[in-house]
Amino acid sequence: MGYDGGQVSSILIVHPDRKTQRVVQRILAATGYTIDVADDLDQGLRLLAHHRPVLVVVDGTAVGAPTLGDFLAAAKARGAEACMTLLGAATSEQLPRILGMGAVTNLLVHPMPILAEELTITAQKLIRNDLFGAEKYLLWGTDLETTILTRSSQRAELVATLSAQVRARGQSARVASMAMLVADELISNAVHNAPVEAGGARPRRDLARDQDLALDGRHAVKIRWGCDARYLAIEVTDKFGSLDRETILAALAKNDVRESGGGAGMGIAIAYRSSDHLVFNLAPGKRTEIIALIDVRHPPTERVPASSYNVFVERS
Amino acid sequence: METRGRMTIDVQGDALVLAGAIDETSALHELVGRARHGRLVLDLAGVTFINSLGVRDWIRMQSAAQQAGVAVELRRVSEPLVHQLNMIVATRGAASVTSFFAPYVCDACGREDSLLIDAIAHGPGLARFEPPGMGCPECGAHMAFNDFPERFFSFLARP
Repeated sequence: MGYDGGQVSSILIVHPDRKTQRVVQRILAATGYTIDVADDLDQGLRLLAHHRPVLVVVDGTAVGAPTLGDFLAAAKARGAEACMTLLGAATSEQLPRILGMGAVTNLLVHPMPILAEELTITAQKLIRNDLFGAEKYLLWGTDLETTILTRSSQRAELVATLSAQVRARGQSARVASMAMLVADELISNAVHNAPVEAGGARPRRDLARDQDLALDGRHAVKIRWGCDARYLAIEVTDKFGSLDRETILAALAKNDVRESGGGAGMGIAIAYRSSDHLVFNLAPGKRTEIIALIDVRHPPTERVPASSYNVFVERS
Repeated sequence: METRGRMTIDVQGDALVLAGAIDETSALHELVGRARHGRLVLDLAGVTFINSLGVRDWIRMQSAAQQAGVAVELRRVSEPLVHQLNMIVATRGAASVTSFFAPYVCDACGREDSLLIDAIAHGPGLARFEPPGMGCPECGAHMAFNDFPERFFSFLARP
């Protein structure tokens, strides 16, 4: 539990809908933190004068409001670690606007009412600064298969094996296909884009992708995956920790995934659009872990036509 | 370990039949040189995978075809390729799509299938995002389209 000069830390929720307020309040109250609720950003700003939230949760429809910048600045000044934005199915058309801002680090897209698991996990990770591991998104007891890639040429075989194993465990061809694509893009990113030298040069970024590279020492890439019949989780980790928040937000916002021919960052954009939830866990200079979650419970027509994402940065 | 299989090319009638994975090893630029009488017909039912590197080369191949005055026809486009055509508009380029596979699910027996849609015959309905009706190959019941039509058919609209 957080205390600051005798003042109990809190979570601040800004949402115009009373029913949603209550649902979110009930879920987040389970963290043990005091929950404050505001109907709009102006009211939220007034509350910030008296509270020190560790986390602020803002409704997606507030994104673009003229006072949002003031609100976020005030929340940061009062010590809030992060802002989480919620986007309901009915308002998913707001997604390009939110991505275009390049400032929303945690977006949970959800059918109403709120998806309690994702909300709780996001809040707990932010509050506890305990970020890493796909286990946090899977049911207890779910096994995660681990492979360490030691040569870049193993990528194609590995993703094919992953796809075959996903099919063997009863998932649809569509899920297996998405898993294959997401894994391929994330591994390619970890092998070629993550390695960075002390001076900032990225020696492997422009190498031909079909050139076989030794992935020894710090270049080794770890892949874990598991399925709990709710989500198929694919986790890819590199030991460079060179991916930063701004690069991720710019890549997610790439509308040129629809409009142009690709280029740097396309892999992340494709992985985001091919999964239901993409989680970035960043320990700068140490490691980058990306977890893609593919919903295997519901057919596409019962899901929200937009994806969630989180960008977590480990506090030192 | 499984292998995803490098892309293979066969000839069947007027079409080049592509199968397997389209990635950094696929040498797609060579396809344009195999056009006949200004036409390049690609049968894509067997394409199982295409990553961002494959997409990049695919777009270059499309541009080269356009510069060479070659008309590209995409026939029996597989779902993994449709997924990329929808994400990256440039993947379609100036090519025409005559048929493609789409996801359906049977309300009665739960069977999921990827079924071929004739984009010419069903063109007017597809333009209104209305998927054609399909019968279940297993039980004969009505199969429902298993995606958002507005999203899945968006690649058919001209950029």
